[in-house]
Amino acid sequence: MSKLTEGVAGFCEKHSTLYKCVLLAENAVKKPVFRCQNCGQCVLSYNAFTCCMRCPKQIRNGPCGGTRPDGHCEVYPERHCIWWLINERAKKLGRQQKLKKYHIPVDRRFEDTSAWLNMMAGKIEGWSWGKDLKEEEKETTVKH
Amino acid sequence: MTTESNLESLLREGHFVVCGEMSPPQGADKDAILRKSDYFRNTVDAVNLTDNQTAIARMSSVMSSVFALEGGVEPIMQMTCRDRNRLAQQSDILGAYSAGVRNILCLTGDYMSFGNHPGAKGVFDLDSVQLIRMVSDMNAGRFQCGEEMKAPPRMFIGGAANPFAEPFAMRIMRLGKKIAAGAHFIQTQPVFDFPRFERWIKAVRDEGYDEQVYILAGVMPVKSAKALIYMKESVPGMSVADEYIKRMESATDPKEEGMAICVETMKRLREVEGIKGIHIMPVMWESITPRLVEEAGLLPRPKPRMQDNLTSISDAELPPEVKKAGAAPKASGVEA
Repeated sequence: MSKLTEGVAGFCEKHSTLYKCVLLAENAVKKPVFRCQNCGQCVLSYNAFTCCMRCPKQIRNGPCGGTRPDGHCEVYPERHCIWWLINERAKKLGRQQKLKKYHIPVDRRFEDTSAWLNMMAGKIEGWSWGKDLKEEEKETTVKH
Repeated sequence: MTTESNLESLLREGHFVVCGEMSPPQGADKDAILRKSDYFRNTVDAVNLTDNQTAIARMSSVMSSVFALEGGVEPIMQMTCRDRNRLAQQSDILGAYSAGVRNILCLTGDYMSFGNHPGAKGVFDLDSVQLIRMVSDMNAGRFQCGEEMKAPPRMFIGGAANPFAEPFAMRIMRLGKKIAAGAHFIQTQPVFDFPRFERWIKAVRDEGYDEQVYILAGVMPVKSAKALIYMKESVPGMSVADEYIKRMESATDPKEEGMAICVETMKRLREVEGIKGIHIMPVMWESITPRLVEEAGLLPRPKPRMQDNLTSISDAELPPEVKKAGAAPKASGVEA
């Protein structure tokens, strides 16, 4: 991110009351709309605006092998598999390309922090605009 | 990168491989592993050692793999993300490699509620794609945190794929992610629904994934129609064709019929373009493996290049790559 956003994020981090206000505002949006799970490193923009941390196994790279034929979860048969939902929404929004992105392991230090400020500070990957993955994001292959 | 895995050597040389699977004992019984090893020695090329499968506590897959080595079979150590965080996973991989384990199968793991400790805390620090990436990084001499490692392991890395679960498009995409993360081979769920499997392998071939990774198709011998019905109705993500259930129900000897179905499936899978081997999952019926392999015409198994000591192979001793991956001639029975 830019110097400006880093500056703003840094300022908020220094003032705990201000930080709490930002976190409150963020949660006020994310909790009811996306049922945010507070991982602090949001990947909503890649996953058709559906939070993958709602998966019982918290899988960030696609569905486990247990999705039922009706698209429901193996652990909670009454719920939809979150990755099934992500796939359906991605189809509607034309964001299927975005699902190909490899997501690195969650950094547990960011849990219960503000993903917005983390993003502005450049600590985590930024918001993914548009419908296609950038070239560098596709490059996830490991060199053997 | 070439590892010291015999499984990899055989695949590279273009052999059609056969893997088995055994469950570690639910007790401190090393002999159980050694006894079961007898069924697999010289009848399969490598054996999966499950890691607390269906979330039921058993002997660790790490130690079971080491005992399997003692029993004379090449282990594929399964590792799930359910029970260990990234620290424990890495330390177990280093330990297992040092003890002679050369293959690892990276899985997310069954959820705790399916097993005998439903109240346990699930770890799920990484997911299976991230685990594959971590092992791949370890092979390259880096810990997950990015720090350098002095004596890196060289694991032959596997992942799982389920061709039968929804959503279909995601199955192909996730396979692609596993390959990009560094998987060398893929084992699938047991095939009881051929049309669906052929649809999947066709999509895999269309993406060119069968050229980038060795795909081993799963099969499972069943003893009764009840077992098949249970799988169809109660195992999420499984698909069983009604044809097999009918055959099992009308059979006078269901065990023989279950075996016949399994052998039939193995023969049919061998003809499928893009399949480099079979993975037999004889759940609680390990003793049937030698017969299955024999009747499918897959005996004798090709000789492993190093029989006695897997740990003492240096780079200089490794054979040159005989063939490009997947160069083995195959009949294409799928297109029709």
